[in-house]
Amino acid sequence: MDLFNYLGIGFSVALQPENLLYCFIGVFVGTLIGVLPGIGPVGAMSLLLPSTFKATPEAAIIMLAGIYYGAMYGGSTTSILVNIPGEAASVVTCLDGYQMARQGRAGPALGIAAFGSFIAGTIAVLGLMLVAPPLASFALKFGPPEYFTLMVLGLTILIYLAHGSMPKALIMAGFGLVLGLVGLDTMSALPRFTFNQMELLDGVGLVPIVMGVFGVSEVLLNIEQIVRRDILKTNIKGLMPTAQDWKACNGPIARGSILGFFLGVLPGGGAVISSFVSYALEKRLSKHPERFGKGAIEGVAGPEAANNAATGGAFIPLMTLGIPPNVIMAMLLGAFMIHGVTPGPLMMKQHPDLFWGVIVSMYVGNLMLLILNLPLISIWVQILKVPYKVLFPLIILFCLVGVYSVNNTVFDIYIMLIFGIIGYLMKKFDYEGAPMILAFVLGPMMENNLRKSLIMSQGDFSVFFTRPLAAASLIIALLLLLSPLIPWFSKKRAEIPKEED
Amino acid sequence: MRTADIFSSLFWMAISLGICLEGCDLGLGSLTDPGGGFMFFWVGVIMAGLSGIVLIQAARRKAVREEMKNLWAGVAYKKVIAVMVALFVYAYLLNTLGFILATIPLMIFLFKAVEPQRWSIAVLGAVISTLVAYGVFRLWLQCQLPLGLLGG
Repeated sequence: MDLFNYLGIGFSVALQPENLLYCFIGVFVGTLIGVLPGIGPVGAMSLLLPSTFKATPEAAIIMLAGIYYGAMYGGSTTSILVNIPGEAASVVTCLDGYQMARQGRAGPALGIAAFGSFIAGTIAVLGLMLVAPPLASFALKFGPPEYFTLMVLGLTILIYLAHGSMPKALIMAGFGLVLGLVGLDTMSALPRFTFNQMELLDGVGLVPIVMGVFGVSEVLLNIEQIVRRDILKTNIKGLMPTAQDWKACNGPIARGSILGFFLGVLPGGGAVISSFVSYALEKRLSKHPERFGKGAIEGVAGPEAANNAATGGAFIPLMTLGIPPNVIMAMLLGAFMIHGVTPGPLMMKQHPDLFWGVIVSMYVGNLMLLILNLPLISIWVQILKVPYKVLFPLIILFCLVGVYSVNNTVFDIYIMLIFGIIGYLMKKFDYEGAPMILAFVLGPMMENNLRKSLIMSQGDFSVFFTRPLAAASLIIALLLLLSPLIPWFSKKRAEIPKEED
Repeated sequence: MRTADIFSSLFWMAISLGICLEGCDLGLGSLTDPGGGFMFFWVGVIMAGLSGIVLIQAARRKAVREEMKNLWAGVAYKKVIAVMVALFVYAYLLNTLGFILATIPLMIFLFKAVEPQRWSIAVLGAVISTLVAYGVFRLWLQCQLPLGLLGG
């Protein structure tokens, strides 16, 4: 079957009324989450995961993916109107977006952010359609050593891009690995770290951990220091950018889309990094770089396009290799597993309807977001005015109900609360949660592939160095781990924009 | 972060050693047939080494007075403790009281915990949010929320 036949399958899945509804709920909730500071897409996805149990796998993944790219759209609204980014990927939008709003140009800033995001999202979906099939075919040749080393590399890049100390990020990854291995050993069926608790035989749940580290801990940090937000009192009119605005933004949107797509494939904060790189690139290419930071519309268009394109790129490693490049994709991997689907090179053959349905739904979702974002901006502004003292009890309530309904057990609530405290202390002591969660998800796969590799090589570690891809992955990982010892690399690493900055 | 890093590195070192010991108990196996504790043991060893690096890095930095206190200086940490205690009590009572009877008092507490609001707003907000959550999760999504005392 060629690409057009697959696209036909995708459209027939994505345009089913049930899937359209789930897609709409996803992008709507995603935009809402992006608008509201204090809860991110990871928390929102874990919160809504239980609500997808009764849905088909297609509908569930379509909704969860919608939350992800919807949050990128929503994040720009708070950056422009409040100077507080709803998402880390929208930090750079504050620089020129807020200045435009102060100059009475909030409308064109919001408009170009929405249009730029739509165009970039569309380009990313096209890129995904073209890149994913050949990569998946190539990945069929991978064996356990390749998978193990690719996971090591993915985790290492995430750790390299982590906020602050690298040893601390590595400790977190180690802790995540250990947590991921709790439960029955897949080979010997021996219970490991279960402390005689029946509930732990199946392992620790992803949802309680994610909700604890990214939901409850975030609430605790916010209630100890309530942030008051002042919304700019400006009339939002004329959302359509002018012809001159379009002329200025064509290049930045195109460059941001391509840049974002390729950087999004990288593990770590692809969306965050791509938005910063796009901003720096546009400033460097501009004939008037002095306008940047003072309300240049290119400074909004480029980064917004880049962070949305990165969300599309991030699906490639997950859908073709089964390796999630960031925490959000790790969450999505968990959702795939819960619905009985294993993402990877065989997914395209075994579940073509799911694979292509999700891809096409992203295109449909981008269109929905464009329609949603422009007329509903006044509603998002009203939502911004909801005080945190009202918002936080509701977030906690949905965390509690959400986590309970996964397995109908109070034990999961205790796990969530314990990880809420751990997450809170981690932030106080400057330890990052992302490496822990990614390692938690990758842990069982890593162990399995390591053991298989050693069994097939009869205990010979050279199996990781005699196969080209495995060797290349390990060497790159090693270089990244050792790079902080070289002062120049250490300085460069400190300059990379981080998810938590 | 000197003192904080010293404390946290010692904490992780202790955890790492625990992981190594458990790994040994589970059995390391051999390189040709790794056992259930193989990965635990080596991850524990690496974590212990990394904790040592964090400890040494912290010990070489200049001391800052009352640094641990500064982590919680100027923040309402008592509210954090109160909220967490309330949540643990809620989890403990959830199956006994049932979702509705346990959640309404919790929500009233949360609505009043951070910044005092009027009782009428707190009670109304708690009742409405609890019933909406019950409606969505129990009646629509058919999740098995505990009925407790209301279940007879």
